[in-house]
Amino acid sequence: MKHVNWKFALAVLVLVFILLYPWLGASSYTKHLFILFFIWSIVAANWNLMMGYAGINSLGNIGFMAIGGYTAGILAKSLGVPPFLTIPIAGIVTSAVVTLALGLPALRLSGIYIALLTLIFADTLPSLLTQTREITGGAMGLHEIPPFYPGMDKTGAYYICFVFFLVVLFIIYRIVHSPTGMAFVALRDSENFAYCLGVNKFRERLKVFALSSLLTGAAGGMYVHALGDISPTTLGIEPFLLTIAMIELGGVGTFLGPILGAAVIVFGNEFLRLAGTLRLTLLGALICTIILFYPGGVIQLFHTIEHRVERLLNRKTPTT
Amino acid sequence: MENLVNALVSGLISGSLYATMALGLTIIYGVSRVFNFGHGVIAVIGAYITWYLLSVFGVPFLPATLLSLAFMASFGWLVYRFTMSPLLKKPNWEFSTVLFMLGAGILLENVVLQVFGPRVKSIPVLVDGALKVGFIQINWHEVALMGIVLVVIAALSLFFKYTRTGQAMRAVAQSIPGAQVVGINIEQIFGLTFALAFTVTGFSGILLGTKYYLNPHVGWEWMVKGFVIVTFGGLGSTSGAVVAALVLGLVEAVATLYFGAIWVWPIWFVLFLIVLLLRPQGILGGRT
Repeated sequence: MKHVNWKFALAVLVLVFILLYPWLGASSYTKHLFILFFIWSIVAANWNLMMGYAGINSLGNIGFMAIGGYTAGILAKSLGVPPFLTIPIAGIVTSAVVTLALGLPALRLSGIYIALLTLIFADTLPSLLTQTREITGGAMGLHEIPPFYPGMDKTGAYYICFVFFLVVLFIIYRIVHSPTGMAFVALRDSENFAYCLGVNKFRERLKVFALSSLLTGAAGGMYVHALGDISPTTLGIEPFLLTIAMIELGGVGTFLGPILGAAVIVFGNEFLRLAGTLRLTLLGALICTIILFYPGGVIQLFHTIEHRVERLLNRKTPTT
Repeated sequence: MENLVNALVSGLISGSLYATMALGLTIIYGVSRVFNFGHGVIAVIGAYITWYLLSVFGVPFLPATLLSLAFMASFGWLVYRFTMSPLLKKPNWEFSTVLFMLGAGILLENVVLQVFGPRVKSIPVLVDGALKVGFIQINWHEVALMGIVLVVIAALSLFFKYTRTGQAMRAVAQSIPGAQVVGINIEQIFGLTFALAFTVTGFSGILLGTKYYLNPHVGWEWMVKGFVIVTFGGLGSTSGAVVAALVLGLVEAVATLYFGAIWVWPIWFVLFLIVLLLRPQGILGGRT
């Protein structure tokens, strides 16, 4: 019970810091980084919900985010729909498209087929975008998408994204600790046992597919309103790789892992800019190293340290 | 009509190149159940080494190819021995190998970029001149490519049928415990399979490099095409991959002729979806 409180206190401390940060002399640039962190950690957390918890080997989540982003961007820019409507619509559209076009076919298949289908789906999107140049702006993308409210500054965007970040994480936390979440863990750890308990694999996974694409699409909507533009480079190899790195680095199949990973990658990526063209080389090497030598990620490192400390404390208490 | 026939001929040629491209994927998957997401860059590396030997050291085509293939074979063995082998022993190896090879693919792609630069390269054609039959026009080079592809496919199927190693690979593909019972060294066969697949893939990269252009990033496009092909033909089935590559090559040529090149990808995706929905084991695949 002791260490739970300790962790909880740390989490609260971090959240309070994030809440007060704009008044602690944050520059516009660091606020921008925090906004990126909020959005990418949501994308990573949802991806992890599919990959780490539900065992859906999706490789197309960046595509989901792009669908949401483009939907919100087009609605707001061409039709003048206000952002509090575009973001839910973006989520719903993404969820509908993804669940129908990918979820239903993919979930009937196993393992590697899902990875292939989702990857090829995300790979097809750029050529569709160039085809629909009049609406989506083709290779140039969409620019000057209206912000959340007229005259929004970075601090406003910061707080709106922060609230969104908290809400989505709360939802994911509840899912992970709900019967659905338990069903996933059961399915992941022992499929036959889960069947015996009456878990309907197809239905549970479809639920997660729909929900996770909904939240990822909404994150895409947040992204375009907070940053003002989106282009097919979002679908490129780099964002894809960065998000994979976030999940792997933080720890697959843990609640906090992807968030920690997102923090490290978003802020670390700025330092990596110094490395210039070597950046992708380093990222690739990072992913390989983690998978090969440290598959549990940062979370596992924390657990190891915690156990060490606990053992140390326990050894000391009886003697003194 | 003339356009259509010419398109079909060129579709057949690119289809046969895609077939060699897809063979490496399907060989690895068939034997070890590892799906190689770094496949594209392996082909690119094979092609770049050949290009380097040809244009910088002036080595003739044949020895340059052989050297590059020897390198690919040892590279494949090393990749298996030092990365895949430990990963396969862990739980959840199916997806961790996928992510590992993705990361490794990007790592290697950028190493190629650092070493050889971003400029487009191309390997010189094997033979000049063109063959004309009526209104059909084919470059001799493309005829030579098709001949080479046929030889490669024939050689591979003979290898799998008649050599001890090939038979052992097929045994492992069917059942690992069964293969162990008859005394096959699984580690060794997996290592050899990776060496063989990397060699074939490197060779396909060389062939593609003579017909199309070569840059460090082109491997992804080749690889995703390879993915559609192996799924279409049935994962792990070599004959399925060859048939699927030819079918998709023809579809691509006809689609380019009538709708334009930009529609090739969406059409491939739709075909891919249809195959997955109706026949997930692929057109010739026996098992899923």
